Amino acid sequence: MKIDNSLPLEYSTEENSLKILGFWIFLGAEIMLFATLFATYFTLENRTGSGPTGAEIFQITPVLFETILLLTSSFTVGLGIHAMRIGKQKAMISFFSITLLLGLAFLGVEIFEFVTYVHEGAGIQTSAFTSALLTTLGTHGAHVTLGFFWGLFIILQIKKRGLTPQTTNKAFIFSLYWHFLDVVWIFIFSFIYLKGMM
Amino acid sequence: MSQLFPMKQVLGFVFSILLTIIALAVYFLDMSFAVGMTILLVTAFIQAGLQLVVFMHAGETKDKGAIYTNVFYGLIIALVTVFGTLLAMVWDM
Amino acid sequence: MDFFDRFAVPHPSFAIYASMAAIGLTIIAVIAGLTYFKKWGYLWREWLTTVDHKRIGIMYLLSALLMLFRGGVDAIMMRAQLAVPDNTLLDAQHYNEIFTTHGIVMILFMAMPFIMFFMNFVVPLQIGARDVAFPRLNALSFWLFFMGAMLFNISFVVGGSPDAGWTSYFPLAGTEFSASVGNNYYMIAIQIAGIGTLMTGINFITTILKMRAPGMTLMKMPMFTWSALIANVIIVFAFPVLAVLLAMGTLDRQFGTNFFAMDNGGMDMLWANIFWVWGHPEVYILILPAFGIYSEVISTFARRNLYGYTSMVGSMVIISLLSFLVWAHHFFTMGQGAFTNSIFSITTMAIAVPTGVKIFNWLLTLRKGKIVFTTPMLYSMLFIPLFTLGGVTGVMLAMSAADYQYHNTMFLVAHFHNVIIPGVVYAMLAGLHYYWPKMFGFMLNERIGKWTAWLLSIGFVLAFMPMYISGLDGQARRMYTYSESAGFGPMNMVSFVGAAIMAIGFVLIVYNIYYSTRYESRDISNDPWDARTLEWATHTPVPEYNFAILPDVRTNEAYWDAKKNGHVLFKGEFEKIHMPNNSGIPFIMSCIFFVWGFSFIFSLWIPVILTTIGIFACMALRSFEQDHGRYISVKEIEETETNLRGA
Repeated sequence: MKIDNSLPLEYSTEENSLKILGFWIFLGAEIMLFATLFATYFTLENRTGSGPTGAEIFQITPVLFETILLLTSSFTVGLGIHAMRIGKQKAMISFFSITLLLGLAFLGVEIFEFVTYVHEGAGIQTSAFTSALLTTLGTHGAHVTLGFFWGLFIILQIKKRGLTPQTTNKAFIFSLYWHFLDVVWIFIFSFIYLKGMM
Repeated sequence: MSQLFPMKQVLGFVFSILLTIIALAVYFLDMSFAVGMTILLVTAFIQAGLQLVVFMHAGETKDKGAIYTNVFYGLIIALVTVFGTLLAMVWDM
Repeated sequence: MDFFDRFAVPHPSFAIYASMAAIGLTIIAVIAGLTYFKKWGYLWREWLTTVDHKRIGIMYLLSALLMLFRGGVDAIMMRAQLAVPDNTLLDAQHYNEIFTTHGIVMILFMAMPFIMFFMNFVVPLQIGARDVAFPRLNALSFWLFFMGAMLFNISFVVGGSPDAGWTSYFPLAGTEFSASVGNNYYMIAIQIAGIGTLMTGINFITTILKMRAPGMTLMKMPMFTWSALIANVIIVFAFPVLAVLLAMGTLDRQFGTNFFAMDNGGMDMLWANIFWVWGHPEVYILILPAFGIYSEVISTFARRNLYGYTSMVGSMVIISLLSFLVWAHHFFTMGQGAFTNSIFSITTMAIAVPTGVKIFNWLLTLRKGKIVFTTPMLYSMLFIPLFTLGGVTGVMLAMSAADYQYHNTMFLVAHFHNVIIPGVVYAMLAGLHYYWPKMFGFMLNERIGKWTAWLLSIGFVLAFMPMYISGLDGQARRMYTYSESAGFGPMNMVSFVGAAIMAIGFVLIVYNIYYSTRYESRDISNDPWDARTLEWATHTPVPEYNFAILPDVRTNEAYWDAKKNGHVLFKGEFEKIHMPNNSGIPFIMSCIFFVWGFSFIFSLWIPVILTTIGIFACMALRSFEQDHGRYISVKEIEETETNLRGA
């Protein structure tokens, strides 16, 4: 296969640049996926039935933790890609590992948050509002969980095979996914939590 | 060591933390719904743009036309879906 | 016994038992046949594991034809039930199931795979590529679609069919009013097929944007490729909406959430809203590739280049945006304000403008053309007036105030069949006749083909024009019978006769395939229609690598250019060609998806967990696998090329 050395390794083959563009288009689809969830959430936001409202169950502390954790992980995965581009495999693996640990911490806080909601009588079956809330948050959380395992596999492959056109391509695509999850979180943070607590 | 922390990305990170703090104002300060929503909309979309350009390297290859078209197309349809749904289901019922 | 009771059909009838027996016998016959002729290895190597876009395309075609007859049987049963007043051929429940499955099968499991077939078979050839961008993903897309379709089809012998309409509106589709598993089938089977479709969308956008032959800029792409690009853009942005909607429906039905519930704050009409956010773009996903096929056929057989290329492209881009802006016209009568209805009314009527531009472009292509009336051309010529009629009634329906009269009547049913049958189905049949020689190396019989086209058209007019009238007279859709005093009897009898004539037309298509396979000449050139685009520039049958040398393109009708202006398409020497390896993972993974879906439908959580792990294991396996494809050597290419040229 032809390798074009003028480009970063992750773009260096024809197949690589196809995969990166393909993944961008997938992210376009993801925009619509979350937009549908947001449309549902905003429609059902005030339809709480006999259950609690958003203002009653949202707490700023865990939300703030989640936001900082995810923002920082997005920063570190960016640093990981930078390290990859200057050929520093060890630094890259360290940054990716930090990213995944931050992702794991995020999931921990989110699970704690869910458990609190259920204890406060806001389970997924309580009202249309809680159904929409927990489904939207849960979909994002499921994406992070999937991303965690995906990232783990990529670290393993880079350890085993080094920085090749294939592994760097996978790592770069993973970074796109992770940044995208951060973007989605920004919208959840702003328009579900902050708007709900305003 | 410093070459592992490029200025552009560090500044991007600092800026995104700053935007988060500005957004938090709607929680800690007392303000009208309209002002609060404006702040949230502005900070969220700047934040998203920041991730797109600084961290996701959207504009670095010759595919950038396709990538930006894709993202903006998605964004327009997404906004139409959200606001159209709200219009039909909540605001104009 | 309780465990097995859930798999029983809740409303058994003779027809269902007969189908069970027929399905069982067919499966046994297929297995026995494959074993007797020792074809298992061939099937696995050449078809089940293939990543070749042409073979995947042909598998889409076979599925689509199969489903056409499955949906067609539903249709003829409905028309038979309504042919006379107070008929008792079907009971209400059975009728509900049939109009539901008819809609879903025809839209999602017949029309969708049909356009997927054209996109798979034609697009890489038209842009001078050797395969799609992600061949293995393409195989996965097909198998997911196929497993989704099969899962949906077993519903009527295991557990009962969905019965809440193809739109499956809540609260009717909720557990309160539809307790059987039928609507779980709806949620899960369409979900699985939808994932496949979404991946096809991503795959083809990437293919069309990145893999065009040298010199083929976007504005030099053939019109079908343009229409495929736009349709795939719509797929990518519309199908995630469907995925979320079905997931929420599943949560409501099986996990007790309240999205569309009648209490606890739920909002039943939210289902209708989100359904049509996907559903309206969906009809453009179907019609745009159909327009693309008409463009190819009309310009080929008018022997003229397509009139107004730029405006054709522009109108498709506008349609793709507008298609996302009109969804609320499906529920003008919900009770929202006049402001909302006005907005959606205007956007809906606006779509008629770019569509009209396309109609005029086709007419102007015909002007001064040397028209050759082949079967594909005949379908296209029948399409223009009949489709325009459907479009005009669409504008009538778009007026929200008037819609209160038309809503949920047979008028609406007549309208959407009037655009889908002449619009989409005729295009599929025109394309089938047009591309058949490229696929199989012989033509379909023209005489039988033209008979079919006329029979279908006469049948169509008889079947659907009366519905406009009975609809305006107040006949509601989805009513399983009516009393004699309603006066709908004669109109419905005419409809039934029309439907029967159409059925004869569809049977003739099968006969044509049989007849042509036996008697038609194998001695045809690579370009039997004297066509204009690149797919006709390669050999028939198309070699695995499509083009030994990638074509060099100067205009949007590269092959015509080569034939008439002496442009040299294939320059240079053979080089070794990189091709992807076959893989069993897409098929195996889709089989696991099938078991996952079946278990999910019946809430069997242990198999659901096991199969979920299986699906992720397949993905992990793929991630760790190192497969760099293989090369076809220059010697092999030379041999293939000499053989094909000799033949």
